[in-house]
Amino acid sequence: MPSSSDGPRPTFGPRLARRARSFRVPDWVYGLAAVLFLLGLWEFAVAQEWISAFRFPPPSKLARTFEALLERGFPRGITTDVHLKATLQRILQGYSAAAVLAIPLGLFIGSSPYLDRASMPVITFARSVATISLLPLAVAWFGVGEFTRIFLIAYGCFWIILTNAVEAVKGVPRQYLFAAQSLGASPAQIFFRVMLPASLPRIFSGMRVALGMAFLVIIAAEMVGTITGLGALIMEARNFYRTDVTMVGMLFIAIIGFLLAHILGWLERILLPWVSDLEEVQR
Amino acid sequence: MNEPRLFQRNLIASWAGVIVVLLVWQVINALELVNPGIFPGPLQIADTALHRFPLADVLGHVRASMQRVIFGFLIGGSLGMVLGIASGWYRLLGKFLWGPIEILRPIPPLAWIPIALMWFGLGEQSKVFIISLGAFFPVITSTYSGMRRIDPMLFRAAQSVGLKGPRLLLKIAIPAALPDIAVGIRVGWSLSFGSLVAAEVLAANKGLGYMVMYGREVGEVEVIVYGIILIGLLNLLTDYLLYNVLFKRQLKWHFG
Repeated sequence: MPSSSDGPRPTFGPRLARRARSFRVPDWVYGLAAVLFLLGLWEFAVAQEWISAFRFPPPSKLARTFEALLERGFPRGITTDVHLKATLQRILQGYSAAAVLAIPLGLFIGSSPYLDRASMPVITFARSVATISLLPLAVAWFGVGEFTRIFLIAYGCFWIILTNAVEAVKGVPRQYLFAAQSLGASPAQIFFRVMLPASLPRIFSGMRVALGMAFLVIIAAEMVGTITGLGALIMEARNFYRTDVTMVGMLFIAIIGFLLAHILGWLERILLPWVSDLEEVQR
Repeated sequence: MNEPRLFQRNLIASWAGVIVVLLVWQVINALELVNPGIFPGPLQIADTALHRFPLADVLGHVRASMQRVIFGFLIGGSLGMVLGIASGWYRLLGKFLWGPIEILRPIPPLAWIPIALMWFGLGEQSKVFIISLGAFFPVITSTYSGMRRIDPMLFRAAQSVGLKGPRLLLKIAIPAALPDIAVGIRVGWSLSFGSLVAAEVLAANKGLGYMVMYGREVGEVEVIVYGIILIGLLNLLTDYLLYNVLFKRQLKWHFG
């Protein structure tokens, strides 16, 4: 907190110009300092027995658990890379199934105004159904096996990718199509050379949101009926009252979540360099 | 983002899809292409809705769920808004706060379930905690970025007529950041709602998630599907209301 003489001031203002010339400590240093301070405080609070070491295992304990998870694993023998591989594999399967189905369907629906209008209520409703509420139904249909989890991921991603693909096609400026037509392009040419490239940015932003959804769904879906995967890791740890393992598992989840959120952004900049700024959807 | 546009002028055209889906579903069921015991048709579900479950019971579940989600959403959302505004206004606080936030933000709300159970037990507290996390992160993120994206010219203009301190914050900064805050609130609501269902599916004795889980335990798929439909409708309805009140009425000047 700034001292009172410092006073509240807007982020921007005449100070900006003056400050830019002198050396500035980068922002992340402050963030890192805050994190280290909180970790220290946590360690201290446990040492002083202000908070229970069972519910809030101190950072030093977490560091040892971190090592143990990489070497011996939890439950014993299932090391972190096994959990990681299981989770990523499920995401990849469900996600790619959704993309393969949703993108062509979305392109098709989007190119017909009538179909678009007729399918709108169904899509809107299906999108509103919280994916996790399908868990009991999926279990009743497919059992607690691997397919249930992949189905749930695919369901969650499908509608997001689909709506974005539909909107992408609808958003292609009519002039592009007219121009291509008047230049004598065949329907196939119009589709592959005009429609598809023009709708790719929006489709891609849908894929990005869907990847976040896939991650959200799989963590919850792994809490039931399996012992591999990051979601299973943190839930199993709870069953054995290993708060430390749960917390380290959450750290793994944070790292993977962070990477997943940024991978498609990087990929997008490489694959679609002509897109300058896409509408951001925050999650 | 897609607006729920269920109520359009051309009713028949926009509902044709729903009718086709229901018909195909009923035909599959009537021909017994899939075992009707695990794949009930629309008529079976309507029958369950009308006879098997008294309306009072269903409303009780709806109320329990709504209470939870609104309570958690208000806690997480208001905390996120206050911290987001504060960290956008006091630059130093923002820099410090953003370290821990960036670490916790990628963790989906549902991944907090095990730790919440250990911290708060199986009771109401842990559910409200998870629901509030669902709202907290989207709201604080969008509030913070809204505060930081304010056009500097607005501040210059306000300062030149002598506005400063808290009045500058209340009259200029917060209104200018409101559209971003509203987007965060909407995303936060949908995440809160999703977390609610998950929290109830894993542990509850009342609420729509519990109703779905109950259907699974007694092996009545109709009940599961009925519960899922209720969850979807409730989500749709609340999002529609939120959208209309927040975006169409309060922020008409921005969203048009």
